[in-house]
Amino acid sequence: MRFLVRRVGFLLVALWAALTVNFFIPRLMPGNPAQAMMAQFRGHVNPSALGALEAAFGVNTHQSLLSAYVSYVGNTFQGNFGISTSYFPLPVSSVIMRALPWSIGLVGLSTVLGFIIGTAIGAISAWRRGGLLDSALPPVFIIISAFPYFWVGLLSIWFFALTLNWFPLLGGYSETATPAWTWSFVGDVLIHAVLPAFTILITSIGGWILTMRNNMITVVAEDYVKMARAKGLKPRRILWHYAGRNALLPNLTGFAMSLGFVISGAILVEYVFNYPGLGFMLLQAVQSEDYPLMQSLFLLITVAVLFAIFLSDVATAILDPRTRSST
Amino acid sequence: MRKKIRAGLFSSALALVAGACIAVTPGVLASSTAGAATQVPLNLANEQGMLWPCTFNPFIPSSAPYSVGVTYETLEFVNSLQSGKVTPWLATSSAWSNDNKTLTFTIRPGVKWSDGKPFSAADVVYTFNLLKKYPALDSNAVWSVLSHVKQSGANKVIFTFSTSAVPYFYYVAGQVPIVPQHLWSSIANPVTNPISHPVGTGGYLMSKCTPQNIQWTNNPHYWQAGKAVVKTVNMPAFLSNNTCNEYLATGQSQWGSQFIPNIQSYYVAKKPGNSYWFPPVANVSLFPNLTTAPLNDVAVRQAISYGINRPTVSKIGEYGYEPPASQTGIVAPTFKSWSSPAATAAFGASYNPTKAKSILKSDGYKLGSDGVFAKNGKKLAVTIITNGGYSDWVATVQVIAAELKKIGIAATVSPIASTNFYSDVYAGKFQLAYNVETGGPTPFYEMRQWMYSKNSAPIGTAAASNWERFNSPSVDKLLADYGATTSVAKQHTIVNKLQMVMIKQLPVIPVLEEVDWFQFNSKAFTGFPSASNPYAQPGLYNIPDWGYVLDNLKPVK
Repeated sequence: MRFLVRRVGFLLVALWAALTVNFFIPRLMPGNPAQAMMAQFRGHVNPSALGALEAAFGVNTHQSLLSAYVSYVGNTFQGNFGISTSYFPLPVSSVIMRALPWSIGLVGLSTVLGFIIGTAIGAISAWRRGGLLDSALPPVFIIISAFPYFWVGLLSIWFFALTLNWFPLLGGYSETATPAWTWSFVGDVLIHAVLPAFTILITSIGGWILTMRNNMITVVAEDYVKMARAKGLKPRRILWHYAGRNALLPNLTGFAMSLGFVISGAILVEYVFNYPGLGFMLLQAVQSEDYPLMQSLFLLITVAVLFAIFLSDVATAILDPRTRSST
Repeated sequence: MRKKIRAGLFSSALALVAGACIAVTPGVLASSTAGAATQVPLNLANEQGMLWPCTFNPFIPSSAPYSVGVTYETLEFVNSLQSGKVTPWLATSSAWSNDNKTLTFTIRPGVKWSDGKPFSAADVVYTFNLLKKYPALDSNAVWSVLSHVKQSGANKVIFTFSTSAVPYFYYVAGQVPIVPQHLWSSIANPVTNPISHPVGTGGYLMSKCTPQNIQWTNNPHYWQAGKAVVKTVNMPAFLSNNTCNEYLATGQSQWGSQFIPNIQSYYVAKKPGNSYWFPPVANVSLFPNLTTAPLNDVAVRQAISYGINRPTVSKIGEYGYEPPASQTGIVAPTFKSWSSPAATAAFGASYNPTKAKSILKSDGYKLGSDGVFAKNGKKLAVTIITNGGYSDWVATVQVIAAELKKIGIAATVSPIASTNFYSDVYAGKFQLAYNVETGGPTPFYEMRQWMYSKNSAPIGTAAASNWERFNSPSVDKLLADYGATTSVAKQHTIVNKLQMVMIKQLPVIPVLEEVDWFQFNSKAFTGFPSASNPYAQPGLYNIPDWGYVLDNLKPVK
């Protein structure tokens, strides 16, 4: 119980700090959203539009920093994140809700899959060190994971989309399709997700394999594993319930962190594949100095990472009783 | 306008991959083979680096390009490629009176909104009063010169200006979209309303919008018989320039406004019929900061202007797409008829490095042993800032800097991230800035933005134009005189005088001509603007021009 209270306390302090930093950092950038929007028009708008935009965005309202901070915190707790300036006049929450499902679906799923597959390969290859699997898979995936993933993305576009023409080139769904819960649309989404998901998957597996394999090698040499063998337990049971369970612990924290980062999407993958997710939105928010959108996205990422770490702490506590008792 | 080419290394990698693969499988993406009876959709290639927000408010600059001209129409069509030639649109005629302070429009009868309700003069009056009530919607600042807008009789609208405001005709008649009173009067806040389902008088209705695509279908009850006959128009959202260029080059799109490197091999040679036309519309110039040394010295500005070999800059920096500009500020061939032979002759050869050096010498500069001029022990060194987001501009400025070194001016190139660049330019925090101002239907518009002292602001305060901080009462007078006359002959005389100011005082140093990016393929649709028939600006970001072009396109039978 005391463990839980401490973790929750830490969570709240970290949240407040994130909220505050998040408020001040965008304001250190030069210019204002109206000027940023003028920059986006690339000289294609009457210069007098600057005045109109400043009026629309309320940039010259001379609100003091403190009162802006107070209203920001208040609004955040009410779930009111303001109006996006780059997607003006849409509210930030609706802008984010458009992109969130795409990132969770694509990046979330491929992260989970990457973790499961990578961990399994890592555990098995450590268990059968020097075997066929161990000499083939880990080196291959570790080499692939050294490639920048946008580059793998570009190659897979070239090979699978353009040369073989198996998969669509870009987008989260066909341009002319209407998003709806129909089989044809879901199928359309899935086929569009294959290449970006594949890219994230094969570039992330290597990391999981490496850490899991190293952990396993240490754990396998432990006395309790020898003991289990001596007892004559089935190898499979020893692999997953004795060695695997313990070797998994360090990996789990890493997994929780990467789950948190699912929210930030995979900026480059989304960029290369024209994928309508949060990563690209974040990039765009920064480029157009869209403070409300930027703040909300950073906040979302921070909260997601903090909660993911919190959950991994709790999970570690469940898996490993030692973390609970030692204070 | 140019297309952003983000992160040079990365995009060139993509271009490489994309280029290679298209060579391997030509036309693999060309899925739009024409069905027998059905008309193929017209797909537009217009990379904006964002997913569509699906907002269509015609008064907000970010959403206006997707509704003005297509769905909402203006009173007249003013053609910037033909010195402001006027074609009636929602008004049948217009006339200035009362010392050019009153402008009367006769409103077209028989026009209907796309919901079937009749359009009337009351809608016009309502629209302009809406802009008065909400300055955030008045992006052309028409109410800076308007006093009031009133209806007279059934079909006339009278605009009264506080001063003679002839050039404002372009904004009032040609840029402000007319919206329906019966729908807009019930909108609580028209500034923050997304206007998701625009109802206008135009030829096209937005029929479907997803973040990935905007689709328009033609208005079956359009008031102009025989126009707006393209059935379906798609504008997919592109996040990167290269994917969009590919879409265009492979023939999936028939109309684009893209910056395409090596357009001949990358686009024209890819599909039969792929063509392009880049009409010049404005100048991309070096803006010298006139408030500080050394650029407050006209001799230095002259030396810079004579010292730049503009054809070389155009060739290396812009693939030759943007033609060399003239120090007179007149964009050729678009505004050729405005060019003053006297000013052109007085300036002489535009590239003259010998003259550049002798100007500096007679100004008291001495050439140092390092090949850089110096005066009173101070080296003649300048920093040129430019938008780091535009790789072509960065390349251009690098060539300019190399040119300046040849005449003994040490120039440093400083590419700055887009937003910071604009805030620096607005605030006057630069020595030389390479940037573009918005053009207009005659050279006057750009010159007014360059030189009108009231457009400027003190250093540190944002000035939306006149970034170099030029201030000349006699020029202000010339600009005001232009605004007071409808006589084309008098306007020419004034623009001639302004050209003399340009070559004598060099408040701005035009380097290249900004062009409208335009690619098209006439296999499925014909009627695009061309050099021989420049009836509208063809770039997909020009309002209301691209909607006007769309009205005039015809499918090939």
